[in-house]
Amino acid sequence: MSNPDLKQIEQFLYREASLLDQPDLDQWMQLFTEDGSYWMPAMEGQSDPLNHISHIYEDRVMMEIRRRNFVHPRSASKEWPVRCSHLLGNIQLQNQTDSGDLVVTCNFHVIVWYREEQRVYAGTCEHHLLAEGDDYRIRHKRVDLINPEAAQRSMVIYL
Amino acid sequence: MTTLISKEEVASLVRPTRLHKRLYLDPDVFELEMERIWGQAWIFIGHESQVPNPGDFFTTNITHKIPVVMVRDKGDSVHVLHNRCGHKGAKLVESRQGNVRGAFRCPYHGWTFRHDGGLLKVPNESGYDSTGFDSSDPCYSMQSVAQVESYRGFVFATLSAEAPDLKTWLGGAIDCLDNLCDRAPEGEVEVAGGVLRYEHQCNWKFILENLNDTMHPMVVHQSVVQAAEDYIATLPESAVEQRSEAEIIPPFGSSYEKFEDSGITGFRYGHHYDGGKTSIHADYKVLPAYHDAMVKAYGEERTREIYAFNTHNTLYYPSLTIKSAVQNIRVVRPIAVDRFVVETWSFRLKGAPDEMLQRTLLYSRLINSSFGMVGPDDHEVYRRAQEGLESNASEWVEFHRQYGRDQVLEDRVIGGGTSDLDMRTQYKAWQEYMTGEVFQ
Ligand code: FES
Ligand SMILES: [Fe+2]
Repeated sequence: MSNPDLKQIEQFLYREASLLDQPDLDQWMQLFTEDGSYWMPAMEGQSDPLNHISHIYEDRVMMEIRRRNFVHPRSASKEWPVRCSHLLGNIQLQNQTDSGDLVVTCNFHVIVWYREEQRVYAGTCEHHLLAEGDDYRIRHKRVDLINPEAAQRSMVIYL
Repeated sequence: MTTLISKEEVASLVRPTRLHKRLYLDPDVFELEMERIWGQAWIFIGHESQVPNPGDFFTTNITHKIPVVMVRDKGDSVHVLHNRCGHKGAKLVESRQGNVRGAFRCPYHGWTFRHDGGLLKVPNESGYDSTGFDSSDPCYSMQSVAQVESYRGFVFATLSAEAPDLKTWLGGAIDCLDNLCDRAPEGEVEVAGGVLRYEHQCNWKFILENLNDTMHPMVVHQSVVQAAEDYIATLPESAVEQRSEAEIIPPFGSSYEKFEDSGITGFRYGHHYDGGKTSIHADYKVLPAYHDAMVKAYGEERTREIYAFNTHNTLYYPSLTIKSAVQNIRVVRPIAVDRFVVETWSFRLKGAPDEMLQRTLLYSRLINSSFGMVGPDDHEVYRRAQEGLESNASEWVEFHRQYGRDQVLEDRVIGGGTSDLDMRTQYKAWQEYMTGEVFQ
């Protein structure tokens, strides 16, 4: 795809968000490349996922462990239903990485229903997308909360 | 502060093998804990490496409310001051950390204070002439907390003038702080890689009871252990070898026998640790470059000795819990009877390769993050207890495991790894603090 189509990219991000809304981690994971990763930094403007703490920094192996854990019948924190509603906005195509992935940023508001409580998360996302035919796969997803340094409550799902 | 709860009443809430549910539910008991436990014990404030330069400060609360600031002065001493202006009481600094340059300056009327808290200047001072105001009276300065001491960079403070010196108070449990630092080839650690803050919606004592509750991991963490073990088993060996997760997660599913073997050791003032000869961290691979640096610094024999003292969690009751073998700590900051925050800080071993810090951070992320696969299951069961105890089916929770079998030595008590020795140890201290007899 030589001319990235923003409309198509938006559709892809909406599809990803709706898989997390359900949540369907099984299908969601499939959107990632084999070397794909998910990162939620614990600090504003964090540049390093390895030498600084993060809330989440996981590759496909850890995603699969999390998926299995998520549906395991013996996990007390998962006995509560989790449902989310993602709203994405301000979706912008930024540039390309050295390896040619498209860098797309957006704002998000997520309302999460968990443990009889409705919670709001907000921030920005950065996706590195690999164009594959008419479709995309996620090489990297970075989720920056507006309050990464705040004390956070238990959360059992990716945002 | 006066209290409506009598000494006898407080003492009666803790029995040798059971605790009254008011310990978790009653806001008056919580207020009294803040006054008598958190207001008397040595509370962990921070690490000296968090304030490396003159004027650097770090703020926190020493109890649920009392704001303090840790600050380094120009002579390189680290102070813990009440974060309160000597004029009308405004907090001097609000951000969690920063640098005050020359002096603290109050945002209200502009009084300034030296890094050691002394009053420097009052604007338009002539208005105080012959009014009886004495600028040298310490009550007009930023006052120091009653006692402040640090041990190997770990800064503690107490609001009590009666507390014994820090080393005496730490007692034999000091070995675990030493072991954490000794694991650095240079014998020193520094805070690195930031902090995770995790809000807990339950009473602060649940996490302390959980640290060395070795009857819970195989139940509470069964799901993540199975998820990890089952999936890892499908991966080629070469893919697993390099992954620290594969050494960190599965031991949480260790058998009762294995945990029993690790043993628990308790000390005065509520401190205790599990492990020593072995722990769930004992089988981590030793990185060759790290081992070389250690042997160079300590020699082969001492290096082996340092590795061999392998503990899981150590509690310095009530505020600090450390993992010497992992190089991270968790700090408990109570807020209300059913709310507290846990801070997870990670440490760099000075002189060790970066991979050591990276493993520590990986551990903190996997186990202690509010978005992790371990912390939320722990937190869930604390909340279940918080909510379940509202029931009037019984007023008591029990802790009988291996009661009467503890071995009492001169400065410590030792017992089985699956015993309730950790409970007996901390609630003995709870009772001593709460009845006001702890430092008598
Ligand atoms: S309250 Fe600080 S100067 Fe007045
Ligand atoms: Fe646990």
